[in-house]
Amino acid sequence: MLEVRDLVTVYGAIEALKGVTLSAKQGEITCILGPNGAGKTTLMYSIAGILKPRSGSVSVNGREITGSSAPYALACGIALVPENRLVFPSMSVEENLRAGAFRRLRGDRSAVLEDIDKAYVRFPSLKRRRDQAAGTLSGGEQQMLAVARAMMSRPNILMMDEPSLGLAPLVVSEVFSIISQLNKEGVSILLVEQNAHKALQIASHVYLLDQGRVAFSGTPGDIGEDDIIQRAYLGSKAA
Amino acid sequence: MGIDFVDIAQAIIDGLLFGSTYALIGLGFTLIFGAMHKLNLAYAASAIAGAYVGLAMITLTGLPSVLAFFLGPIASGVIGFAVYVTCFRYIPTTNMLAPLMASIGALFFIDEIVIHATAGSPLSFPAVMEDIYLEFGDFGFRGDLIFVLAISLIAMAVLMYILFRTRLGLATRAVSQQPIAAELCGIAGHRTNAITFVVTGALGGLAGCMAAAAVGVISPLLTVPITVKGLIVTVIGGLGSIPGAIIAGFAVGGFENLFLLLFGVNQRDIYVFLLLFVFLVFRPGGVFDTAIERD
Repeated sequence: MLEVRDLVTVYGAIEALKGVTLSAKQGEITCILGPNGAGKTTLMYSIAGILKPRSGSVSVNGREITGSSAPYALACGIALVPENRLVFPSMSVEENLRAGAFRRLRGDRSAVLEDIDKAYVRFPSLKRRRDQAAGTLSGGEQQMLAVARAMMSRPNILMMDEPSLGLAPLVVSEVFSIISQLNKEGVSILLVEQNAHKALQIASHVYLLDQGRVAFSGTPGDIGEDDIIQRAYLGSKAA
Repeated sequence: MGIDFVDIAQAIIDGLLFGSTYALIGLGFTLIFGAMHKLNLAYAASAIAGAYVGLAMITLTGLPSVLAFFLGPIASGVIGFAVYVTCFRYIPTTNMLAPLMASIGALFFIDEIVIHATAGSPLSFPAVMEDIYLEFGDFGFRGDLIFVLAISLIAMAVLMYILFRTRLGLATRAVSQQPIAAELCGIAGHRTNAITFVVTGALGGLAGCMAAAAVGVISPLLTVPITVKGLIVTVIGGLGSIPGAIIAGFAVGGFENLFLLLFGVNQRDIYVFLLLFVFLVFRPGGVFDTAIERD
């Protein structure tokens, strides 16, 4: 289980996170909603070790990882599929996957190859493009690659930052079905989304982040009953 | 007697062979630029300093002179690491100018150390395979230049193998293409960049030894011209392009020697700069026009 307590992260003089407390329970899909500039990506980067929080704590299964490096967070079982996918553009699809298993390349190479084959079973379109430069893939394929790459580290908790951003509706549905599938296989998910309606369908717990603070915490059912939140953050019910 | 075709061809051949030195220096600039998107202007200075250390070690110990080509690169690798730590590791990389200025400082610092250690006077550097001369009809190949070419081709092959066939190479390319994603994959960026500086430093040391061996002397006066030629090669090859740097290195070497033959030593570099400007105007992205792209 991932626990975030009173997390504060600053950029220069700007406090992007002003004391965020939330948790992602084992085996669940936890969803973070919120408008642009709410601090969602900052939160993801602060948990994953890309940004160093000023204060507060992050722990995973009771192990404190606040302010540790990204490789250490990964070693503790937290993987992040970053916003805008950030694939390695000039590397082939297969090299991207091998990079995802970087820590394991030193020891069990055969297990890595097995995991690459498993990724190809899950994402057949990646198998067809295994030798193609990742930068030449479509947005949807790059998203699949980013997810597959993150899974190569065999994480306990998979964090995803706006995986549906800029994708066609059909591809968005595919992404969400993959998220559900991974969750059924035992991976805990912490999902950041702008696509609230899709996200609420699969989430077990929802947080609403606004201006660096948690503005709401509850189940998708709770959020459905809260008229103010519906209107302020999700648009009208009819939308 | 005027200049005939054989003279021109011979000049180009010699230039191409010597150009392998430029190719290695250009590769060093381009690899560091690819990794960090920063120029390390101290690069050629550490290459020359490494060659000096190599020379000093064989002179002091009486080891065979070929060993300078091993000891020089090791010394340059160490200097490369020192340059990384002092000029790049702790200086804020968001400021484009700070690491650049720091590396200029390192250039003069390293150069001054060499000048003080040698009293500024040029030292003769042993050539290898000097007494070999291969003749093919009208053309001849100087043995020492063939040695230089052979060494640089081996170095390039080893470099390509490391970059594209090893775990270290995967890390280097990952950090260069997408540093945040590399961290998220568990690849420590600082460590990878430090290793890049050591490896390219060693490459530079090799180039320094080769240049000194081909010229026959080593002098601190070599630092600035080699820095400038290396930068020209890097720009013509396209910043960040590995094949570009190799092609441009040989091309600049060949053209330089041709200009030397046609216009003399005084005007040679004018035409080399003209070549640079032609590229900057008509093909600013370099010969292949595919510098490593960034998201």
